[in-house]
Amino acid sequence: MTNAIEVSDLYVSYKGLKKISIKQSIAKFKFNQTEIFEALKGVSFNVEEGKILGIIGKNGSGKSTLLRAISGIFSPDKGNVNLNNHSISLLSIGVGFQTKLTGYENIILSGLLLGFSEEEIRKKIPKIIEFSELGDFIYKPVRTYSSGMYSKLSFSITAILETDIILIDEVLSVGDIHFKEKSSKKMNEIIKDETKTVVIVSHNMSTMRELCDKILWLNDGVVMEIGDTNDVISHYEEFMKTLNK
Amino acid sequence: MIGSENLKKFFYNLKKYYKYSVYAAKAELKSEITNSYLNWLWWFLDPISYMLIYTFIVEVVFKTTEQYFPVFVFIGLTTWDLFSKTVSGSVKLVKNNIGTINKVYLPKYILLVSKSFVFLFKFLISFTLIIVLMLLFKVPFSWQILNFPIILFIIYIISFGCGTILSHFGVFVEDLSNIINILLKLVFYFSGIFYAIATRIPAPFNKLMVTLNPVAFCIDQFRRIFLYGAIPNYLLLFLWFIAGIILIVIGVSLINKYENSYAKVV
Repeated sequence: MTNAIEVSDLYVSYKGLKKISIKQSIAKFKFNQTEIFEALKGVSFNVEEGKILGIIGKNGSGKSTLLRAISGIFSPDKGNVNLNNHSISLLSIGVGFQTKLTGYENIILSGLLLGFSEEEIRKKIPKIIEFSELGDFIYKPVRTYSSGMYSKLSFSITAILETDIILIDEVLSVGDIHFKEKSSKKMNEIIKDETKTVVIVSHNMSTMRELCDKILWLNDGVVMEIGDTNDVISHYEEFMKTLNK
Repeated sequence: MIGSENLKKFFYNLKKYYKYSVYAAKAELKSEITNSYLNWLWWFLDPISYMLIYTFIVEVVFKTTEQYFPVFVFIGLTTWDLFSKTVSGSVKLVKNNIGTINKVYLPKYILLVSKSFVFLFKFLISFTLIIVLMLLFKVPFSWQILNFPIILFIIYIISFGCGTILSHFGVFVEDLSNIINILLKLVFYFSGIFYAIATRIPAPFNKLMVTLNPVAFCIDQFRRIFLYGAIPNYLLLFLWFIAGIILIVIGVSLINKYENSYAKVV
């Protein structure tokens, strides 16, 4: 079995990237103060093709940073991420649209950015529109959408366009009760599809137990444990209990 | 050379994301039209009304004039618009597209490519008015007009080059747009948009201004081919072409090196 994702010795830090203003720097006579925050410190793991990896950890442990580093939005300071030429998309809450443009145009733009050709996208557009249940709103600018419609569209694009690797950041369900059911059903379908490699970040341990083949536990940017779903989750839950005392 | 590798990557990405840039530009233009009915009329009305204002100020208030003044000032204004809109639009470009940037990787200069297509399209629209104005004011046509794409290309790559550099620094320097706006005002008055540098500015300086300021230079070249039927200065055009490429190499190299940390800052 080949690996879809190979992450080796990954370091990501936020350093010296504070914004500056010219007024401030003149007032202080210095230009740049470096503040280093290391979000990931030497993370390594592999995900085989078609497998589902769950990432757990307390808030601020580097989960979202890791997802963004895998998808190429952040560059690692050290180490590297190898996707072996698989296409990848990141599904997370409420991001990614040009609000001036219509939903329809945003579908095409998102698709083009994910590496699909215009014909492929046009073929799938009826399905996306149908799944999103937006009706005629799809031809209206996205800024007129309610937050529910916004996340429905965002979900539908990623769910229907289906890249080889799908990264999911805390969105196993969106919208109202009806759409929630529908979307989690669709999500399960994608996750169980053997050709898709999925990485999920979530705090919902029961869904993680149900879905994941393997769990990676991140704590303060370091891998605490990686391995069998039930083992890692029970260790993590014990650890979280000790924090509460 | 460091530049060649960056440039190679740039052209590779240009090809890869060309469709995205064009589609995004088209969608933006379309959204301008659909949001208000008369909006596309502004693409014409805007340069025309400025032309009328400057014609009034210069001819009536200052009582000076140039030959074919309305066409003269119109050429200056549309060229200036292409440059200044690209430059001022680039400063906040990354911030304005934060949604896209946080969601998926794309080379950040592609955002500027798409934006510059929008301005280029508007430029071409208002430039068709030049032909109308030339007929109206009975300016003699000459074959030199065919040099038009060359000059346009030069001002375009210079605007684009400045834009790439500024879009990089715009991410890190918060008040850059304030400074750029002041600088642009300055360059505006130094570019001979409503006066002829050659005759209004004393001797050694006028030559220097037209040679060293790319906007003044390109405006001057446009006027030569449209109004006076003169041959453009090919040597200087070539030198500014080189300068434009250097600007693009600098900007693209900066973006290539730092773009993946933009999402951490914005």
